[in-house]
Amino acid sequence: MAEDSNVYYTEGLPVPETPAPGDKPAFWKQTDVVGKRIPRVDAYERVSGTAVYPSDIKLPNMVYGAILRCPHPHAKVKKVDASRAKTMPGVRAVITGVSPKVKGLNWKYRNYTGPLFDSHCRFEGEVVAAVAADTRYQAWDAAHAIEVAYEVLPYVADYKEALSESAPKVHDGGNLAGMDEYERGDISRGFAEADAVLEETYETPCQIHTPMELHGCVANWDGDRLTIWESSQGVYAVQSNVAEVLGIPLSKVRVIGHYMGGGFGSKLKPGKYTVLASLLAKQAARPVKMILTREETYLCVGNRPANTMRLKAGVKSDGTLTAFEFECIGPSGAYPGGGTALVDWLVRDLYKCDNVRCRSKDVYINAGTARPFRAPGHPQGSWALEQMMDALAEKIGMNPVKLRLKNIPAISQGRSEPYTTTGLKACIERGAQQFGWKNALKRAKEQNQSASHIKRGVGMGACVWYVGGGGPPSTVIIKLFRDGSVNLNMGASDIGTGTKTVMALVTAEELGVKPEVIQIEHADTGTTQYATPSGGSKTVPTESPTVRNAAIDVKRQILEMAAEDLDVRTAELDYEGTEIVWRKDKSKRIRVTDVGRLKKRGVVVGVGYRGPNPRTKTVNPFGAQFCEVEVNTKTGEMRVLRFLGAHDSGRVLDRLTYDNQVFGGIVMGIGFGMTEFRQLDGKQTGKLCNRNWHDYKLPTALDVPVDMESLPIEIDDPEANNTGTKGLGEPVTIPTASAIANALYMATGIRFTNAPVSPMGMCRRLAARKEG
Amino acid sequence: MCSEHRDNEGTGKQGMTRRGFMQIMGTGAVGASLSGAAMAAGSKPEPPAKILDATDTVKINLNINGVNHAVLVEPRWTLLYVLRETIGLTGTKEGCGRGECGACTVLIDDIPRYACMTLAVEAESRRITTVEGLMMGEELGPVQTAFLEEDAFQCGYCTSGQMMAVEGLLRKTLKPSMDKIRRGVSGNLCRCGAYNHIFRAASRAAGLKTK
Amino acid sequence: MLPQFSYVRPETLKDTVKHLSAGGAAIHAGGTDLLGCLRDGIMDVDKVVSLSALHDLRGVKETADGGLIIGALTTITEVSENPMILKKYPCLAQGASEVASPQLRNQGTLGGNLCQKPRCWYYRGEFNCLRKGGDICYALGGEHQFHAIFGHDRICIITHPSDTAPPLAALAAKVRTMGPDGKRTLPVETFHVLPRKNPQVETVLKPGEVITYIELPRPAGNMRSSYRKVRARRSWDFALAGAAIALEMDGDRVIDGRVVLSGAAPVPWRAQSVENAIRGKTLDDATIKRAAQAVAEGADPLPENTYKLDLFKGVIEEELNAVR
Repeated sequence: MAEDSNVYYTEGLPVPETPAPGDKPAFWKQTDVVGKRIPRVDAYERVSGTAVYPSDIKLPNMVYGAILRCPHPHAKVKKVDASRAKTMPGVRAVITGVSPKVKGLNWKYRNYTGPLFDSHCRFEGEVVAAVAADTRYQAWDAAHAIEVAYEVLPYVADYKEALSESAPKVHDGGNLAGMDEYERGDISRGFAEADAVLEETYETPCQIHTPMELHGCVANWDGDRLTIWESSQGVYAVQSNVAEVLGIPLSKVRVIGHYMGGGFGSKLKPGKYTVLASLLAKQAARPVKMILTREETYLCVGNRPANTMRLKAGVKSDGTLTAFEFECIGPSGAYPGGGTALVDWLVRDLYKCDNVRCRSKDVYINAGTARPFRAPGHPQGSWALEQMMDALAEKIGMNPVKLRLKNIPAISQGRSEPYTTTGLKACIERGAQQFGWKNALKRAKEQNQSASHIKRGVGMGACVWYVGGGGPPSTVIIKLFRDGSVNLNMGASDIGTGTKTVMALVTAEELGVKPEVIQIEHADTGTTQYATPSGGSKTVPTESPTVRNAAIDVKRQILEMAAEDLDVRTAELDYEGTEIVWRKDKSKRIRVTDVGRLKKRGVVVGVGYRGPNPRTKTVNPFGAQFCEVEVNTKTGEMRVLRFLGAHDSGRVLDRLTYDNQVFGGIVMGIGFGMTEFRQLDGKQTGKLCNRNWHDYKLPTALDVPVDMESLPIEIDDPEANNTGTKGLGEPVTIPTASAIANALYMATGIRFTNAPVSPMGMCRRLAARKEG
Repeated sequence: MCSEHRDNEGTGKQGMTRRGFMQIMGTGAVGASLSGAAMAAGSKPEPPAKILDATDTVKINLNINGVNHAVLVEPRWTLLYVLRETIGLTGTKEGCGRGECGACTVLIDDIPRYACMTLAVEAESRRITTVEGLMMGEELGPVQTAFLEEDAFQCGYCTSGQMMAVEGLLRKTLKPSMDKIRRGVSGNLCRCGAYNHIFRAASRAAGLKTK
Repeated sequence: MLPQFSYVRPETLKDTVKHLSAGGAAIHAGGTDLLGCLRDGIMDVDKVVSLSALHDLRGVKETADGGLIIGALTTITEVSENPMILKKYPCLAQGASEVASPQLRNQGTLGGNLCQKPRCWYYRGEFNCLRKGGDICYALGGEHQFHAIFGHDRICIITHPSDTAPPLAALAAKVRTMGPDGKRTLPVETFHVLPRKNPQVETVLKPGEVITYIELPRPAGNMRSSYRKVRARRSWDFALAGAAIALEMDGDRVIDGRVVLSGAAPVPWRAQSVENAIRGKTLDDATIKRAAQAVAEGADPLPENTYKLDLFKGVIEEELNAVR
């Protein structure tokens, strides 16, 4: 144990004032640790290879699980014969729909509840049986030695046909999963007032999350106590799902997810595989490792649904938007999954427009169920709205940047309440300036007037994200040990965004300790505090204020203790990091590590809770992205030359991880706009054509520009929460694809209403244009 | 599990328990095999005199990070499976098992390859380097340091593969151009999209290596 | 997951041929295609015969008459970086450098690249298609935007994925083989089999036969060659359309030459219409335009891959301008 508290404290570092009990902490005017470029606190583990991800877990006596899945998009299981599988080498457990242990177990999709093993398979990839065996290979062999008789049923794969009379019914009640309508003002009046009205239909593809770490878990029973290591965005969500399905108390389910290799929304909840691993582990009386294959993850762990959107827009010649009419259809998949969720939000909320009507229809098809995918609905809506904005700008002869600036809303129109802060205008204005919009535009025009078949374009898109303000519940514990070192205990997962790091920085800022002496315990329902899953870009604005509250609680307690030592009133003491000082006579002071009760108790435990969000205002992040592209009009090849992301996500906690997040969102947006689409064999079998990373193409290092810039638009937002933070992870991928589409339009004069714009699509459109 | 380690850990229940425990704690089984360091590197594999039966396991020697591991494998087991599930070197990750992501990149005789597309029997007596082999004791190697400093990852799952690709590149080319760097990591997907920071890390690593 | 198979690593070519001659055997050179095929269950293999111990089959040597002999086990990376290949046969080095990803180039071999199974998401997926012994070509009536526009006869519209076979064919390379009946030498150009002949095999190799070497003839003194590949993403992807061009030039005039397409047909596809349009001609804008138009001759595009016609025109135009 170090005697010298300097090991743990930064000498002379100013520490925020400790608010009186009951008072809210003051907004940080300036920060000393927060906002700097600081490598991650867990970087060593991640680069040394010592970080143990759930798929790395190996327990004594552990066996491996594999799942047999329905190969048809729509079928009824008539008979399952596992007799051969049971006798195969290494097999320890076999579960099918008729196993006694699975009787009465149910699985939920939002508001739908059905049996865990449903003999009516409504999508390719539905579970039919599961096996545990000594090696992964043996488990796979045995699962596929199970003989199943199916009655193959007619399927519906095309969501646009799902509501037609002749379409096979996914559920008895029909294929309409849900409808949503929204209206404000009077659109007919709005269109009547317009000088120009445009209407266009846009389509976006089904995108698959494909995080690098496969979905899966290790499940282990100790008597009636179940421990699960799951690759997850939220351990408490896994705990509650599994406990509910198995009918056991929450206290008996411990879920651990220290590291996880990406989720993007697909790991907000557990999968059937989690329950199957638990059941197999019970039956085999051994720990079971159940890691899906890559191919399986394309079928059954979620997707961003495809959408078809019709947008009609009216604008006055001065740029005032007068009306939006938006219609959207999209598939939930086989079960409720949010086929059109939030697709219309940008139309409702991003630009000022008094007359708006949105209608959407969510339908069932015989394919894997959608799950939230990074900014659900938004990149789709952006693809329509931001291209429409450019088209309107062209129609009335206005610069697209100007048109957007003309329509900055003062309040959130979708919610009819003010934003705490809005950086939309600043993101567009300062982003355009930093990007060099005018020069880029000029360069592109010059290039396009030349004889070269290489054309150039610049484009932009802006965004708001539906949530991003976070909120309760959240509980965090900070322990200050008697040597001055600190332990931060929170339930939230770090899904790669740097949650652990930024929370350490917040703690360091508040307590004056060095970030590196903070040990973090997180993402474990057995030992860390309740947290909602890391998703919705809410982890930072949810957890960081809680962390700050916990740190303040530590300070308050330490001050009370020091008051005893110094024999003065608590209220007259200042916490200065290394020392506690009497305000009336600064010579009366005590080192934190000398505080008597701390020394005796060994530790001070501070508890922080997340306070409520502002009641009459909404907290939302904003952004604008700009890009420059090049098109080879002979071959259809496209190059994204550079990108700039200007994002208002409130206070930046770590500039290094912040920039990384911005660039990552752009890369994912490039995939959405240019390379990714799920392809079903709709006309013949309804099966999935592309279930691997070759046929389903993610952008590689050669598909993204080296020239990427991040421009944080930091606006003080003390009303949002006590750290002034807003979410970042999702907004950064919203306008990327639409910015590219706008740039491609400038380069080619072709409006790409269907995403993604691949060289195939580019060639088709260039050829069609040639033919006139 | 059909593995035969020449290690000092014991094969009884206790030893396995400890290995399991160490695994959870994040230490893996690095350096568990002490004997035969770097012995077989470069030597020619002993050709199997006869056909290895599909259902049998065969004893092979794998030289990993300078340490010899004698393991029992089935012909169909990949190097990746053996590294992770038999030997316990879990720094090398599985992303696809089909040569389409690069998370399992290791060096074989200094050259980056996919461990998931390499049969363990094919790796016999070759010099295999995994991410654990970039460490100098507890200290990070230059590529790892550069990745740490440039924040060249988010979830970290593709990272060891990315670093092995960069390590392989730098063992071949001391000061690669940006173009070479991008091509060098173009066999490694990063779904988080940290490519930009990866490029910077590779440049920085080149600097650290030539210092 | 990989299915069970037995494994043997013979030390001599003779033993290799013996092992291969038994039914159900498959060759493992680099293994990159084989393991993928096995994982996808597209063929039944009882025994994997590894060539790894045949060290003589690796490396590049100059022949007495100024050509090259490349061992079949030479890796794609080695082909792409070999100074002699870079200098004399740039289209082959370029083709090799465009293959898959760096790791796969480090592992895959030139012989393997020639022998790899073609690419189609139905063939490689859970579809019992014609090529796998089923009744129909699913791509024909299904999703075929990546598929062939030449040489498929609407039997099987799979595309040949190799980036090295087109340059080798353009360079008039030959493969040497060893089989139960002894040695053979075959032109690369006729090495692959069209669906109309047999939709279930890819090459003319007989059971037990293995490629040992690839022979490159001495290039004409004024040979210009180039390979160009367009794909849906810039790494790790097969050609949507590609072209290898090897021309014997006299100044600006084409004396003779070959143009071989990738991503075009179930086999590397020789575009004789393009060759005819440039043979004996000066490579000026008009000739290049005409030659580009000519590439579409004999094409049988399907609804979703008609774009390839224009794409190939563009590629040919760019390629001819590049060697001009």
